[in-house]
Amino acid sequence: MKRSLSLVIGCLVIALALTPCAWAKSKTIKIGINAPITGDIPKVGEGSKYAAQMWLEDVEAAGGLEVGGQKYKVELVIEDNEAKAESAVKANTKMITQDEVLAIVGPQSSKQAVPAGGVANDWATPMITPWSTNPDSTKDRPYVFRGCFLDPFQGPVVANFITEEFGAAKAAVLYDVASDYPKGLAEFFKIAWEKIHGPGSVVAFESFTTKDADFSSQLTKIIQSGAEVIFTPQYYNEVALIVQQAHELGWQKPIVGSDSWGSAETVNLCGPDCYGLFFSSHYAAAGATGSTKAFIDRYEKKYGYVPDDVAALTWDSLGIVQKAIESMGKMTGNIEKDRTAVRNALAKVKDFEGITGKMTFTEDGDPIKCAVIVKINDKGEFEFYKSVCP
Amino acid sequence: MTNQQPEIQSNGPSKGGKGYFKAFRSYFSCVPMLGWLAGIIAAVLFERFLGDQISELLGLPKIPVLFGCMIMLKDFSLIPSALAFLVGVYFIPILLVGRALAPVFNGLAGMIYKISPMFSVVLHLALLYLALHLWADLSAYRLMTLKFTLVAVMLTLSLNVINGYMGEFSCSHPGFMALGAYAASVFTLVLFTNDRFFGEALLSPSMGVYFFPVAIILGGFAAALGALVIAIPSFRTRGDYLAIISLAFMFIVKSLIENLEVVGGPRGLGSQPNYASLPMVFGWTVLCIWVINNFVRSTLGKALNAVRDDESAADAMTVNTRRTKMVGFLFGAFWAGAAGGLFAHILRYVNPASFGLQRLAEILAMVYFGGLNSVHGSIVGAVSISLLGEALRPLELFKWIIIPLLLILVMIFRPTGLIAFKEFNVKQLVRPRN
Repeated sequence: MKRSLSLVIGCLVIALALTPCAWAKSKTIKIGINAPITGDIPKVGEGSKYAAQMWLEDVEAAGGLEVGGQKYKVELVIEDNEAKAESAVKANTKMITQDEVLAIVGPQSSKQAVPAGGVANDWATPMITPWSTNPDSTKDRPYVFRGCFLDPFQGPVVANFITEEFGAAKAAVLYDVASDYPKGLAEFFKIAWEKIHGPGSVVAFESFTTKDADFSSQLTKIIQSGAEVIFTPQYYNEVALIVQQAHELGWQKPIVGSDSWGSAETVNLCGPDCYGLFFSSHYAAAGATGSTKAFIDRYEKKYGYVPDDVAALTWDSLGIVQKAIESMGKMTGNIEKDRTAVRNALAKVKDFEGITGKMTFTEDGDPIKCAVIVKINDKGEFEFYKSVCP
Repeated sequence: MTNQQPEIQSNGPSKGGKGYFKAFRSYFSCVPMLGWLAGIIAAVLFERFLGDQISELLGLPKIPVLFGCMIMLKDFSLIPSALAFLVGVYFIPILLVGRALAPVFNGLAGMIYKISPMFSVVLHLALLYLALHLWADLSAYRLMTLKFTLVAVMLTLSLNVINGYMGEFSCSHPGFMALGAYAASVFTLVLFTNDRFFGEALLSPSMGVYFFPVAIILGGFAAALGALVIAIPSFRTRGDYLAIISLAFMFIVKSLIENLEVVGGPRGLGSQPNYASLPMVFGWTVLCIWVINNFVRSTLGKALNAVRDDESAADAMTVNTRRTKMVGFLFGAFWAGAAGGLFAHILRYVNPASFGLQRLAEILAMVYFGGLNSVHGSIVGAVSISLLGEALRPLELFKWIIIPLLLILVMIFRPTGLIAFKEFNVKQLVRPRN
């Protein structure tokens, strides 16, 4: 026994000798990123992570963030939330209490952003969710903000656009009833459409369930209903199937989508079937100008593909956080006071020039910003068609 | 934290590394549970008062939360310091206090045991709670992880009743959990919260905490009712067919909630009141372990085993197989529902997507990793998979290679799980070791 004890003590001494002695704590600002790096939607997590790393490069090139005439180093704390609600809550708790981050960007999906926002608000830590469209994420939570427009805005935008562009009076909707985003948006579109064209003008309101791959019965119904346009607020994998099957069944009229179409995968999967279709989005990659173009070119050069809207929205959210930190006056060193100062600065941000448009936060923490109508051109690129502002 | 010490008496030290290990084990085999708990409390107190200074001295940014795993995986140069912290703050105080005061604690444990074994168990539980409370008090992240781990223990145990003790392969646990989570959430939201789903609170919100156990029990009964619904049509089926029926039930529950606009549909239900404090969750977990442990050791529990091993033989031996299976199934579902109710109030948000195939895989992994037909095993499985999942967080994608790999290894070398087919004898556990 004595030998084993001496062995343990020996190990301990060696470990202590190897330890670098207490180094001075440097002044750094930590920003947390809560992203779904593994799980159902890894591409979303990857986009957020890459955008954040690009942002960090910029900040490091500038020598850090300047607050009250002093430069502070910035450190990113990237946590994986596995696309699960409880994991997002744990990740937020960890970043707030362990890593002591000043602000958090993420989580992206509403099912993680709603509970994680509750944690951030309870700990009085500012959080911006770039992509969540559920009103509950920010509702009654002064510390939680959002980087994108909401569905109650997007629904009418699409309804107005279709009315003006195609002159249609009868519309059909095809959506996933088991997923919160498509369902919410489908309902807002229906309300907006019936407001313009009168009750009953949505002639078919057809639904399916997540992971369905055959839509022929719903599409047949839609074709028979005499609809002049289909609105389908689905994700890229379903969009490709829906559009292809609609064309096979002889549908030649327009199909319109929402911001969930805005992934590079949409065109990869859908091919020429999707050329010429329209959808509403946060920004358009092809034909972009100024800082938007600079961002896209840099991202594409670095990671090999055109960034989708999640990356762009994450980039903008980080930009807003940066602006808020730089305008908050001075760092007190007391993390709680600093977080509140950042929150107050965020609430005061006016006309932030982001790559996805100008942003100003409302009292609820939701931004007022313009939507973009994108056309998929003959090369399969997302081309800017027009901009719709509130 | 659950320090289950094996009670192996070795025949004296032999040479070699294995010999050292054996000697080490036999040297500490005389320490009673009371001694280990005292050691853990001493270590946790040590960390509480001197942890900051020690971690600063070692160059660590903060006190390592989950035994230093996160720090080690994030920054390899900090591995020696994190290990030193682990050894210095946890291992040495626990072993030292446990071993040095072993005679004292043995005497004490004997005295308490003589008064009443029940009293001894309660005292041990109180000490365990104290240790967990002090440990979790240092960081909110620890607290959150601990609460989810305790809920995982409940879920794993309740599934073990069906899959392990009853020998049926049931896949409906996420469904039961969802029923419990929604029933408990609706109860607390309607009665004690002003929210946008159900409007004004019907009763004073200050009374809510006292009624929270009612909400959990209600959640349990909702799940048991759901279990009854599938138990009746699936009486005639066994094995794969029951698995398929129960899987279908899980999807039915999920779709049902997705289409119920009253409880938020796919958007989920949020802003549950913050009632699930650590004592509450700990209390429920202890109750769950106690009741299930008594259940499986009772005549009914033995009847469950008999039905599993040979249904017609059991029938011939006057076991009412139908009633036994029914009770076992409903009992397992009840605790899954209770765990779901707690889960909803810890997370303070529920949505149907949380109760899908991924959750099923998680619970099944915990059951089979820990061991079938064993209360020990379920505790070990749930705690180790939950803590591994948290501790390997910095590895991101590789975490999903390491954990399944571990599962495969366990299945190869111990096909029924780590600690399978073993009785959990609480009285044996709290007895003095001399």
